[in-house]
Amino acid sequence: MNRRDFLKMSGAGLAGATLLGAAGCGGGGSASGELILSMGPDDTGTLPDLIDRFNKQHQGEFQVKYREMPSDTGQYFDQLRTEFQAGGGEIDVIGGDVIWPAQFAAQGWIVDFSDRMPESEQKKYLPGPIESLTYDGKIWGVPWYTDAGMLYYRRDLLEESGISAPPKTWPELQEMALQVSQDTGTKYGFVFQGSDYEGGVCNGCEYIFTHGGNVLDPADPNKVVIDSPEAIAGLTTEQSMTKDKVAPLAVSTYTEEETDPAFLNGDAVFARNWPYMYALAGTSDFPKVKPEQIAVAPLPVGEPDPTIASTLGGWNFLVNAASDMQEEAWEFIKFMTAPEQMKYRAVNATLLPTLKSLYDDPEVVEAIPVIKLGKEAIQHTRPRPVSPYYGDMSLEMAEQFASVVKGDTSPEQAAKTLQSSLENIIEQAS
Amino acid sequence: MTTASREKKRRSWFKEEFGDPERRAAYYMVLPALIIILLVAFWPVVYSIWLSLHQATITALGPFVGFENYVEMFQNPDFLLGFRNTVIFTVVSVAIEFVIGLAIALAINRAFRGRGLVRAAVLVPWAFPTVISAAMWRLMFQDQVGVINYVANALGIISQPILSDETLLLIGAILVDVWKTTPFMALLLLAGLQVIPGEVYEAARVDGANVMQRFFRITLPLLKGTILVAVLFRTLDAYRVYDLFWVLGNRELDSLSTFVYEGVRISQLNFAPGNAAAVFIFLTAFLIALFFIKVLGMQTSAED
Repeated sequence: MNRRDFLKMSGAGLAGATLLGAAGCGGGGSASGELILSMGPDDTGTLPDLIDRFNKQHQGEFQVKYREMPSDTGQYFDQLRTEFQAGGGEIDVIGGDVIWPAQFAAQGWIVDFSDRMPESEQKKYLPGPIESLTYDGKIWGVPWYTDAGMLYYRRDLLEESGISAPPKTWPELQEMALQVSQDTGTKYGFVFQGSDYEGGVCNGCEYIFTHGGNVLDPADPNKVVIDSPEAIAGLTTEQSMTKDKVAPLAVSTYTEEETDPAFLNGDAVFARNWPYMYALAGTSDFPKVKPEQIAVAPLPVGEPDPTIASTLGGWNFLVNAASDMQEEAWEFIKFMTAPEQMKYRAVNATLLPTLKSLYDDPEVVEAIPVIKLGKEAIQHTRPRPVSPYYGDMSLEMAEQFASVVKGDTSPEQAAKTLQSSLENIIEQAS
Repeated sequence: MTTASREKKRRSWFKEEFGDPERRAAYYMVLPALIIILLVAFWPVVYSIWLSLHQATITALGPFVGFENYVEMFQNPDFLLGFRNTVIFTVVSVAIEFVIGLAIALAINRAFRGRGLVRAAVLVPWAFPTVISAAMWRLMFQDQVGVINYVANALGIISQPILSDETLLLIGAILVDVWKTTPFMALLLLAGLQVIPGEVYEAARVDGANVMQRFFRITLPLLKGTILVAVLFRTLDAYRVYDLFWVLGNRELDSLSTFVYEGVRISQLNFAPGNAAAVFIFLTAFLIALFFIKVLGMQTSAED
């Protein structure tokens, strides 16, 4: 054949092959008998271990498959939202961040667990995680593991300066930080996360909570109460950290990633961070400061209404409302939240369990020193505002809190701005 | 022109284009590509504009609200800040890149040993993905490990961490962009320089023109086409800046595109203003391009 015919044939062949390929890829979705669990990356390897254990027990019935999601919780949330909007997606069980349940429940994307989690069941878990799963009078999942903001301090530096106990109030903290850093020649008195991101919201909320304030009215989540003297007092304290040079101005750019080296390389006397940082001390990444040199305490409290509190972090189990394996999902969740499995994950991954009973178990307490030291802190965690539009609220709060830390906005101004913008969001949402 | 002659002109153009079987075949051959472009490029833009006239969210079209979204957008302080940052960034960085790029292009235009190597080496900053170089520079500006922050504070030029101050952050972003894209400008301009025949310079030298005169009377005018293309490309690129600002500022530096991203992807309620901002970017970029072509006389085809 001549060149023209050859070209015509190969063109048609190529087009045909492409169409076939596209049609073939159109299918997908989980194979029957397969339960898909989505969760961020697991550096410890304990999650795949537990899944293997479960799969062995349930050979021939159904198997669980672990689908790894982005480590950035914002990106993970985005992917889930995209799949939900497209009609449900293939994920059956979701390892969800504590700030998600209300946002998903409001759209009807996750399953109501109220009948599977009656009061008797709920009592077994810490109150903070349960609160984060509660929306509209119902409970939307099962708590898995938890996180709480705590105050880390260099026990040895405090002793050097003649102080034997950690500070109980914020003014005490500031005084101690300045004194100890001067006496011992440490670069920074106090470091925390003040950058414009979710962690910044956690920190800012902690200042508000410990001064007796709130963002939303606990009794009525549609009422914004952030413009109150207590909240303003809290934000004033946060701003005074950088204003009075207790913390470096750069904390307005700090996330957990910057806080870790600042404290664990010995450059700071105090630090606010999550429990995970304890396990990093003395490891090959951070050899300078040993675990014996640091200690943990509950966050200080402020005036006018001193309240022990810290922001709740952590992860829960949620079930996709579009899943057709809901019974199997419940089986798996029951397995993962049984004391034995929770303990395994707590001991091997040093993650804080949500079952109250495990906090009295000597094996758990030994494995995670932070539990022994921070038991009180964990009992007083408070969730961030529980609302279907938390995402938008978080954006506003992150921006304002970071601006307060930088000193660009006054606490009164920030509180007023947030009051109106949060009210706007709630109004727009209804 | 009388109506009759205008009619005749129109009719003859039509006959000329579609009457001729060869030209008609050409149109048929171009038609599939044209349809694909319309579908892939035009349709989303038109739909975006249609969406921006409604109170849209990710899941629903919402009621028709006319230009309300645009009014809301112009009153949004984040948008205005982003717009201001973007304009300053575009003007300053393109100007600096042009000047330095031209200087580099003139320097490597003459043949010397190792010229090929220098040309390749000059392109290295541009070869890095923007996200990587932004993350790298952010580390250099950081307060704990950043060498630039350390030196600048030690020399007393500034007295605060670079990343905590919005103005310094913007200056840093301009710096990073100049570092990254000057080579690209330089190479584009170099290509234009190489087309200028050497005899023109010889003739000028014979006529007694000095360096400045040769540069302003010969080089620049003959380079005008290339300059306009290079500057237009860079201006549109800088106008759309997103990844540099997002990674360098870690969400704290606003531009037009970061406003769109925040509204459309992160926020759940700001979808409509975010979308309106995207349409705004498209329209203004279009106007900028139009300005370059019509007013500054940029050549768009060989027949001009």
